[in-house]
Amino acid sequence: MHDVAIIGVGIHPFGRFEGKSAMEMGVDAITAAVADAGITWNDIQFGVGGSWTVANPDAIVGMVGLSGIPFTNVFNACATAASATKACADGIRLGDYDIGIAVGLDKHPRGAFTEDPALVGMPSWYAENGQYLTTQFFGMKANRYLHEHGISHQTLAKVVNKNLRNGALNPNALRRKPMAEEAILDSPMLNYPLTQYMFCSPDEGAAAVVMCRADLAHRYTDKPVFVRAVEVRTRKYGAYEVNTTFAPVEEDVAPTVYAARAAFEKAGIEPADVDVIQLQDTDAGAEVIHMAEAGFCADGDQEKLIAEGATEIGGAMPVNTDGGLLANGEPIGASGLRQLHEIVRQLRGEAGDRQVPGNPKVGFAQLYGAPGTAGATILST
Amino acid sequence: MTELALPRRGTLIAWTTQGFPPGRPYKGPTGSRFEPFGVGLVQLGDVIRVEGRLTESDPGKLAFGMQVELTMIPLTSVDGDEIVTFAFQPV
Repeated sequence: MHDVAIIGVGIHPFGRFEGKSAMEMGVDAITAAVADAGITWNDIQFGVGGSWTVANPDAIVGMVGLSGIPFTNVFNACATAASATKACADGIRLGDYDIGIAVGLDKHPRGAFTEDPALVGMPSWYAENGQYLTTQFFGMKANRYLHEHGISHQTLAKVVNKNLRNGALNPNALRRKPMAEEAILDSPMLNYPLTQYMFCSPDEGAAAVVMCRADLAHRYTDKPVFVRAVEVRTRKYGAYEVNTTFAPVEEDVAPTVYAARAAFEKAGIEPADVDVIQLQDTDAGAEVIHMAEAGFCADGDQEKLIAEGATEIGGAMPVNTDGGLLANGEPIGASGLRQLHEIVRQLRGEAGDRQVPGNPKVGFAQLYGAPGTAGATILST
Repeated sequence: MTELALPRRGTLIAWTTQGFPPGRPYKGPTGSRFEPFGVGLVQLGDVIRVEGRLTESDPGKLAFGMQVELTMIPLTSVDGDEIVTFAFQPV
């Protein structure tokens, strides 16, 4: 078994790019990651690609070089990038390859995701009845969480305000304009208590990460970032998750709890050791809830922590330093690799205006998506 | 597998509102004819929790733990025939 290091990261800005395909954005991300690693495409021994809108991400070899490498396509909805990261890291960990690449790319139309419910094994009445909306679930989960743990609507607005300010410092973000908390609260109510600007937007973009055997990393970089753990979990019986018509009476915790716990155990790292945090902020409530589900605080502590600025770039537990999904939007396949791109930049000290002070050494990234799938990744210097 | 008749009354465990028209294949009225509706997770006795529309969409009139009862509501009409769906209304 080999340890795994990240030696290159690349990103195509997240936003809307008329006339540019997801594949073309993926090529740009791959080119940037390969250049960042100081290698050429022909040095890459295998690839893993994740996308929703591109059925065959492996077709990208036709645009970056027909070197004949094995290339595996993965898809786990919003957690797709965690699966791509894991497949890539495991290929190296198990000794099959020395250098590989994980890439994610997507191009979504504006507005909430609408798909044939049969694609996720749901009956057609669920959509005909107006219940097949991921945003509805997020509204219900956030509403209940706020009610049970004494979190205010103002705290939701503070999360958006913070992520848009961080996005303003990130040249690759979709939304780069800060917004006052009151304007966020006063925007149209989409799914109570979540208003329009408390949701991220499906958009377009790509990101890629080059990994290699840790003992070879010094050949390519003097600042390797090590992949300490990647864990993916699906929901357990008792978890009420997105895209489900029913739930049992006896509750169980969400899959993020299991994924994060397993990742911390595997890495031998405690949540308190983490210096840079990336959480799936599909909506403002999700960032608040995921802080606790991932183990960074107790349920309800978010109200005080966020008011005190703990999740700001200069705070004790910086969350979504690049603006997260709220500022970057969500091209599903690329979103989690955007998270790793940001953590690697932060751990290398290359994050510029949004650099977390004090030489951060440990980063954590969490993904969550339909129908109840979570990913947790831990990186360290 | 055996059939089990579920209680018609239940407790509101979680709720939200739908403030914008769902996309296709939603059968209810959209565009300017769209009217916001409530959505909830309702616990039926100690048997199961089910997700369904709520007849109430005013957050001020919805509360965690409130009692609700199954009803049928008009969703749309096709060639003059009324299409109905299930929903829960506050008791």
